[in-house]
Amino acid sequence: MQAIRAENLSKSFDGRRVLENVSFSVEKGEIFGYLGPNGAGKTTTINLFLGLLTPDGGTAMVNGADLGSDDEARRRIGVLFENNGFSERQSAYENLRYFANLYGIDDPKDRIDELLGMIGMADRAYDPVGTFSTGMKRKLGIARAILHKPGILFLDEPSSGLDPDAQRMVRDLILSLSASGGMTVFINSHHLDEVQRICTRVAILAGGRIQAEDSVARLTASGNESSIWIAFEGGKVPEDALISLRTIPVIQRAVPEDGGVTCTLSEQGSAADLISALVAAGFRIEEAKKRSASLEEIYLRYVHSGEDAS
Amino acid sequence: MNELRTIARKEFFQAITNKGVLIASFIFAIWFPVFTTLGILAGISGDPGTALAGHLVSLTVVLAIFMGYLFSADAFFREKKDGTILTLLCAPVSLRQIWEGKVLGVATAAYGMTLLSALITIAVAFAVSPVGISLPWLLLVHLVLILPIYAAASAGIIGAAQLYLGMRENQFLGMGFVFLFIFLIFALQTLISPEGGVTLQTELFFGVFGIVLLLLGRRWAGRLSKERIVRTIA
Repeated sequence: MQAIRAENLSKSFDGRRVLENVSFSVEKGEIFGYLGPNGAGKTTTINLFLGLLTPDGGTAMVNGADLGSDDEARRRIGVLFENNGFSERQSAYENLRYFANLYGIDDPKDRIDELLGMIGMADRAYDPVGTFSTGMKRKLGIARAILHKPGILFLDEPSSGLDPDAQRMVRDLILSLSASGGMTVFINSHHLDEVQRICTRVAILAGGRIQAEDSVARLTASGNESSIWIAFEGGKVPEDALISLRTIPVIQRAVPEDGGVTCTLSEQGSAADLISALVAAGFRIEEAKKRSASLEEIYLRYVHSGEDAS
Repeated sequence: MNELRTIARKEFFQAITNKGVLIASFIFAIWFPVFTTLGILAGISGDPGTALAGHLVSLTVVLAIFMGYLFSADAFFREKKDGTILTLLCAPVSLRQIWEGKVLGVATAAYGMTLLSALITIAVAFAVSPVGISLPWLLLVHLVLILPIYAAASAGIIGAAQLYLGMRENQFLGMGFVFLFIFLIFALQTLISPEGGVTLQTELFFGVFGIVLLLLGRRWAGRLSKERIVRTIA
């Protein structure tokens, strides 16, 4: 069942096209990563889903509703923007209480206490938010976003400005929300490593269009069909090996990497051809494995091709 | 209704806990009226009660407008500048409810400060006047009915303007408002002579004009859209 759906979504600002016929969907319970360079239109997309902007064309539906015109539908979503949305002079408890009242939560004290305990901030409940670190504010922001137990959570750069410990904490929190509550999570992020770790599916936006949309596993696998990493006996790359490797016909490119060599095969070449050719050339191979590219490499490839096309 | 009350309560407490705004409002609300009143009392030849009431009528209207402006800064401008209003716009509350709740909270604080200023001014006048002062009952009507309208109208129009305009335009709005404040003081003092006191006509004029301003603010707020607010955030 689709929780979020964009269909031919287009948006321009002052004659400049930001989004052009963007279509994708997010299934219920998924953790969806929305990637793209600065100015690609990621925040615009989130704002269109949240009803903060009106599309020039197409539709942006959340739970089958247009959040711009349906106040009640907004009760079923949670949002965390980069600025967290807190009043700095009020305490953590007062801020959460304010939103609990807006969302119509009856007797919210227990729920607030539960959330403050969950994020490890029960002892800071009555301190002004202005005295908190960026990480604490972000944790509190997530607590606020899930206060009313929404089915869908929109997170705009959830790890921005956080130290590694806090990043991990936020990551674990998102994973546990999805695993235990079946929450659909839409993440707008620049942290590709984070997205690779927690997202089930991603879409890459560049040049105002979706360049790729698939599971992280399939995207990274599709980008590495022709790369094999070779480790040589003794743990060292033999002298002149690179020169010799580049003369083997099935190898298009050979690059030293992680104590071995990553060989990119030509279109006709296979892993078996490569191994045979290396053995025939006199190299003693200790290990050969298909190289798994990072999401970053895939991302950069799509972003550059998208920007070139636009 | 509950949402409106929630927003109003938050904005009221935000307003009365902002030290910077409180200090500025105290300076305008206490120092300025008290000293101008002492000057008026020293210079009049007629009934001091009539003169004091006539002076307070125009002065408190201007003060209510200025207090509405001062207390709006946190509720509308700062929330927009910091982008925290985005979170509020995503809550299950209409834009109209957000505006009304904020206006109610800000106007309550602005009215409270204006009333405090009027009461302190009256107390000081009573204390320093060599003759007994008797105030007309219409002044009570002015303080209880007219001033809240101006506090709300001011917060409403300025709030709508701050949400509608971009950051740079908002800075011009702030500067313009200070000039408007000074202009209003002189204009009202010229139009309504303190020695004429407070009359039914002046109260009717103030009442009708205040309601027109309030409705103008409401109409402007009705034309606001979330897109306009989002696109004018820095």
